[in-house]
Amino acid sequence: MKGRYEDENLNWIPLLILAVFLLPFVLKGVTFSYKYYLYILNMAGIYIILTVGLDLLSGFTGLMSLGHAAFLAIGAYTSAILVDQVGLPFELSLIITPVIVGLFGLVIGFPALRIKGIYLGLTTMGFGFIVKRLIIAFREWTGGSAGLHVSSASIFGYPIKNDWDNYFMIYTFAILAIIMTRRIIKSKLGRAFMAIRDSEQAAQASGINLAKYKLISFFISGMFAGFAGVLFAHTSHFISTDHFDITLSIFFIVMVLIGGIGSIYGAVLGTLFVVLMENMFIPLFEDALSQYVNLNAGDFQAFIFGLIMLIFIIFQPLGLYGMWLKMRIYWKIFPFNPRKRFT
Amino acid sequence: MSDLLTGLLQESVSGIALGCIYALIALGFTLIYKATEVVNFAQGEIMMVGAYINFFFVTQFSAMAGELTGWVFLAALFCSIIFAVLFGIILDYVINRPMKDEPVFSIIMATISLAIILRSLTAMIAGPISLVPVSPFGDSTIKTAGIVISVLDLAIIICAVILMSLFFFFFNKTRWGIAMKATSEDSEAAQLMGIPVKQVYRIVWVFAAIVGVISGVLLAPRMALLDTTMSYLGLKAFPAAILGGFGSIPGAVAGGIILGVIETVSMGTLSFHFEWIKEINDIIVWIVLIAVLMIRPDGLFGIAKVKRV
Repeated sequence: MKGRYEDENLNWIPLLILAVFLLPFVLKGVTFSYKYYLYILNMAGIYIILTVGLDLLSGFTGLMSLGHAAFLAIGAYTSAILVDQVGLPFELSLIITPVIVGLFGLVIGFPALRIKGIYLGLTTMGFGFIVKRLIIAFREWTGGSAGLHVSSASIFGYPIKNDWDNYFMIYTFAILAIIMTRRIIKSKLGRAFMAIRDSEQAAQASGINLAKYKLISFFISGMFAGFAGVLFAHTSHFISTDHFDITLSIFFIVMVLIGGIGSIYGAVLGTLFVVLMENMFIPLFEDALSQYVNLNAGDFQAFIFGLIMLIFIIFQPLGLYGMWLKMRIYWKIFPFNPRKRFT
Repeated sequence: MSDLLTGLLQESVSGIALGCIYALIALGFTLIYKATEVVNFAQGEIMMVGAYINFFFVTQFSAMAGELTGWVFLAALFCSIIFAVLFGIILDYVINRPMKDEPVFSIIMATISLAIILRSLTAMIAGPISLVPVSPFGDSTIKTAGIVISVLDLAIIICAVILMSLFFFFFNKTRWGIAMKATSEDSEAAQLMGIPVKQVYRIVWVFAAIVGVISGVLLAPRMALLDTTMSYLGLKAFPAAILGGFGSIPGAVAGGIILGVIETVSMGTLSFHFEWIKEINDIIVWIVLIAVLMIRPDGLFGIAKVKRV
C-alpha cells in the first residue's frame, strides 16, 4: 500500500522548522529593530493559522466565506472573557474556545447547505456585520465599542509576556496547524471535501453525505479561526471591534488567493507575502517616494496593495504556489521546452 | 395614533427614495451579472467616482458661467455621462477581458481590488477634505397630506423608475438585450450564432458605469458631505441585489425598496418605540437578507439554476 506522502519529498521540512525557530536569533543578531519584525511575524503566524483553515473551507470544499474575521473576533472575545472574567486557565481556553467558535461555524454552516455561490459569500459577509454589532451590544462583557484589555498568556506556569515569547508560541501552533491541515486533506475527509468542490452532484452520487461534510468543513474552519482568535487576543493584549472589519475578511481571502487557492503551502506563502508586503515593503517604498511627492500615507498604501492584488489575480491565477510548481517543473525537465507540457 | 401613521408614511416615502438609490446601484450589479456573470464589487466605487466627476464639472462650469443655473447641472451631467462611457470601456478592458472564464472567486477578488484602487486613487487626487455638493433642486420640498417630500427625493424616484423600465424593456424586447441574455447563458454558443460577444460585454460595462455615475450624481446632494466613505453604500446595496435575486431587474427594484423602507422605518419609528431596535439598526438589513435567503436561496425573484452534470 502506498504511504500518505510517498510522492513528496519531506526531508526539507525539519530543516524549515529549525529555520523558523532560529529566525528570531538571527534577527536579533542582525538588526536593532528586531522587535518590530517579530511583531509583524507574529501577526503573520496568527493569520497563517486562520488562512489554512479558510483554505480548507474555501479552497478545498469550495464554500466561499467573506466573514472569517467574525470567527476570529468570536475566538478573541470568547477567550478574553473565559480567561479574564470567568477565570479559566489559558491552556483550557485554548481547547474550549476553538470548539465554541466551531459551533458558531455550524450556525453559519446550516444556511450554507442551501445557499450557494455569491449568495453564500454575501450571507457570510452579513454574518460578519451581525457578529460585530452583537459584540458591541453585549457591552457588559465585551466592553462595547471601547474595546477590551486582555491579560498575557501563560502556559503551564511559564508566562508569555513579550513578542519574543509570543513568537515561539505562535509558530509552534502555526506549524501544528499546517501539519494538521495537511493530514486532513490527505485523509478521507479531505478527499470528500475536494469531491464536493469539484462537483456536488458527482460527490453525492458516490455516497458522500453533502450536509455532513459541509458542516464538518465549516466546523473545522471555525475551529482554526477560533484558535487564531485566542492567540490574537492574548498576544495583542487589546481587542476592539475595529480589528475585525470586513476588510480583514477580504484580506484573508486575498491571502489565500495570492498564495494559490486549494493548496495549504499556498495559503501560508500568501499570508506571509501579504503581511510582509503590507507592513514592510510598501512603507519602505512609500518613504522613498515621499521625498518627492506629498502623499497621504494610507491611501497610497491601499493603492499599491490593490494594484499588486489585481496584477496577481490577472496574470498569476494559480498564485505563488502555482508559480513555484511551474518553476520546479521547468528545472526538472530543463533541456526540453516546458511549455508543451505545462500551459 | 394618526401621528404614528403619518410618521410611518413619511418614513416609508423617504425609505422608498433611499431604496431607489439602492436599486440603482443594484441595477449596476444586475446588468453586469446578467451579461457577463461577473459579480462587480466596485459598483459603489464607480458611483463615488461619478459623484466626484460631477462635482468637478459643476464647479468648473459654474465658474465659467458665473452662476449656478439649471444649465450648469445639465451640462455637468452630460459630461459625466460621457466620462462614464469612457470609464466603462476602460473597465471592460482592465477587468472583464482578462478575467473571462476565471472562477467566480478570482473575479470577485479582482473587482474588490479594483474597488480598493479606485477608492484610494480618488482619495489621493481629491485630497482628504470632504466636499460639499450642491443640489440642483435646492432645499425645496413638496407637501401633500401631511407628508413632506423633498424634490430631490422625487427626482431620485422618477429617475430610478425611468432607468429601470428602460433597462427592463431593453433586456426583454430589443435585439441587443436578447443578445446579452444569450451571451450570459453561453458565451461560446452565442458567438457561434453571430452575436458580437466582445461588443456585448463592452456595452454592458458602459451601461453599468452610466447607471453608477447617475446614481452617484443623484446621491451626492442627498448626503451632506461627499467623501470616499460614499462608496460603502455599494456594500449596502449588495443585500438589495441579493434579496431580489441576482440578475433580475424587478428583483433589484423590489429588494432595494424593501431594504430602504425597512432601514428608514427601523431607524425612525421602531427605534423610538422599542429600545432594543437601536442596537441592531445598521444590521437589520443583513438579518432580513439572511432570513429571506434561508427560505428562498435564490432571492425573491431569482430562478434556481439547474446544473447538468
